[in-house]
Amino acid sequence: MDHSARVYDDITQMFPDEENPSPIVRLNRLVPEGSQLWAKLEWMNPFGSVKDRAAWAMVRDLERRGELGPRRPGRGIVEPTSGNTGLSLTAIAGMRGYPMLAVVPSKVPEEKKVLLQVLGAKVEVVPDALCPLPGSEDGTIGLAKTHAKASADRWVMPNQYANQQNVEAHLRTTGPEIWRQTQGKVTHVFTSLGTCGTVTGLSKFLKAKNPEVKVIAVQPSPGHDVPGIRNVSELDVSQLYDPKLVDEILEIDFELAYTVAAELARHEGLRAGPSSGLIFEGARRTARKTPVACGVMIFCDDVFKYASNMLKHVPGLVAEP
Amino acid sequence: MADYANPEVLVSTDWLRQNLKTPNVRVVEIDVDPKLYAAGHIPGAVGWDWTTQLNDQVKRDIISKEDFEKLNSEAGIKNTDTIIIYGDSSNWFAAFGFWLYKLYGHKDIRLLNGGRAKWLNEEGAPLTTEVPKFERSQYKVSSVDGSLRAKVSEVLAASEKKAPLVDVRSPDEFTGKIIAPPGMTETAQRGGHVPGATSIPWATAVTNENTFKSADELRAIYLDQKRLEPSKATIAYCRIGERSSHTWFVLKYLLGFKDVKNYDGSWTEYGNLIGVPIEKGG
Ligand SMILES: Cc1ncc(COP(=O)(O)O)c(C=O)c1O
Repeated sequence: MDHSARVYDDITQMFPDEENPSPIVRLNRLVPEGSQLWAKLEWMNPFGSVKDRAAWAMVRDLERRGELGPRRPGRGIVEPTSGNTGLSLTAIAGMRGYPMLAVVPSKVPEEKKVLLQVLGAKVEVVPDALCPLPGSEDGTIGLAKTHAKASADRWVMPNQYANQQNVEAHLRTTGPEIWRQTQGKVTHVFTSLGTCGTVTGLSKFLKAKNPEVKVIAVQPSPGHDVPGIRNVSELDVSQLYDPKLVDEILEIDFELAYTVAAELARHEGLRAGPSSGLIFEGARRTARKTPVACGVMIFCDDVFKYASNMLKHVPGLVAEP
Repeated sequence: MADYANPEVLVSTDWLRQNLKTPNVRVVEIDVDPKLYAAGHIPGAVGWDWTTQLNDQVKRDIISKEDFEKLNSEAGIKNTDTIIIYGDSSNWFAAFGFWLYKLYGHKDIRLLNGGRAKWLNEEGAPLTTEVPKFERSQYKVSSVDGSLRAKVSEVLAASEKKAPLVDVRSPDEFTGKIIAPPGMTETAQRGGHVPGATSIPWATAVTNENTFKSADELRAIYLDQKRLEPSKATIAYCRIGERSSHTWFVLKYLLGFKDVKNYDGSWTEYGNLIGVPIEKGG
């Protein structure tokens, strides 16, 4: 595939890999002196987030195994999602002709619920956990699993929380991209924790290349309102999380996810979403303590899907100025 | 290892799998989120919506004896049936349903240990979208067991004489930092707890698999740590009476407390009353 002219026969040819990496961009204004922090702009992927990688890998795997495709006519995809995986899966399903059912928690911003429908998904909304349940699954996983089990002829569930393809995707693409883009000089990686496909895949790849690479996860304070990511206390739903692969976990007040996202847009020209805001805040605090020679931050998606959340959390914004 | 005081009120997922076709065993699903039943349920199970089918639709109250008879008769449930109840959120509303059945005198009612989530995650545990049809029965409530239900006057009296009251809500609801968990529509004018109540969040009683902790573990928590006494009259409450049904079940059937009541009015009644004492903080 020749990416130089950026001429494509099909949008799926634009999915990122080592030959066609998502860009990394250096931050120049908000970074403490003596450190270099690079943002990996995952919103440049075809369907707007880091989850394009996992979604594409999971669908192709289901097709290879005959779980989706001509051998299962009429069968579609059901998936619990905070929105991004759902958007990627829905777009892919639409091109392939598969029905798509996205099961989302009620907390997900309206923008994502509408976008999912624009792309062709049927959306079911589940009330958020009423009060923390010990180790039990979150409502979206339960409902999606119920559909996949009770109506197996109609739905297959990739299950991003347990699917190794979610890790593999980052082992095959994100890791090698960063290694090549930094010419092997990467010293720190900053990520968030959602399904943990990103952190696990990246850490496995980069630590195999250089055991000195520090993998730092940034988590929102408990009771947060940041879609797509989790506090460690909420992580038992993910079967992909391996604490041994994470060197440090920083907790940041979740409101900063939103205010720092606005700061990135205003000073660095980066239209980063709230999980990226949180990651940057974690990276900046790390750099204030000890210089970060070459830090790469995974900026999972952009802020366009979060206008309603930004209104709620960023002082001074008004809906009708 | 000691067993539960009344082990017969719990069935395992294995037991249910083997008894799905046993005559006179009936399965009832009651969820916090009624969408779940429609998406898929245990074959043969009927599904009830707690908001519209277990509560009176005019006044705030549980359904009347007559409505309870009608609900069961329409589902073809007989007084002699063994009923297995299960649901989501570690059986919150299933426990509420269990309490309702006991209140209306059903003889053989049991909870599916682990509830819906445990069943869902088990290989070979079937789910279906088919809604079963049963011939109408003549279900009759012959006695109502009022000793299982606390009215607000009893709660006030218990608080006054420092009798055991168990607040099973989250710590932030107990202290009054919040009035209800985020997103809940039923709430109250005031936050805090009934003076003298002990905070033991309902989830203390369950494992990561949603099943109940062992008798020894439960004893260590409720008796040794929290100093409740099986011989003392005890009242459990929460916000609307569903989480407290869960703890009521633990105290009465798993730990064998002689006299436990569920205060189903709970904080949405108490926290709206004028002039009653409220304690805030931990
Ligand atoms: C906005 C956003 N940030 C971060 C993440 C976390 O990525 P991962 O699921 O790979 O841990 C997600 C994934 O759901 C996301 O949607």
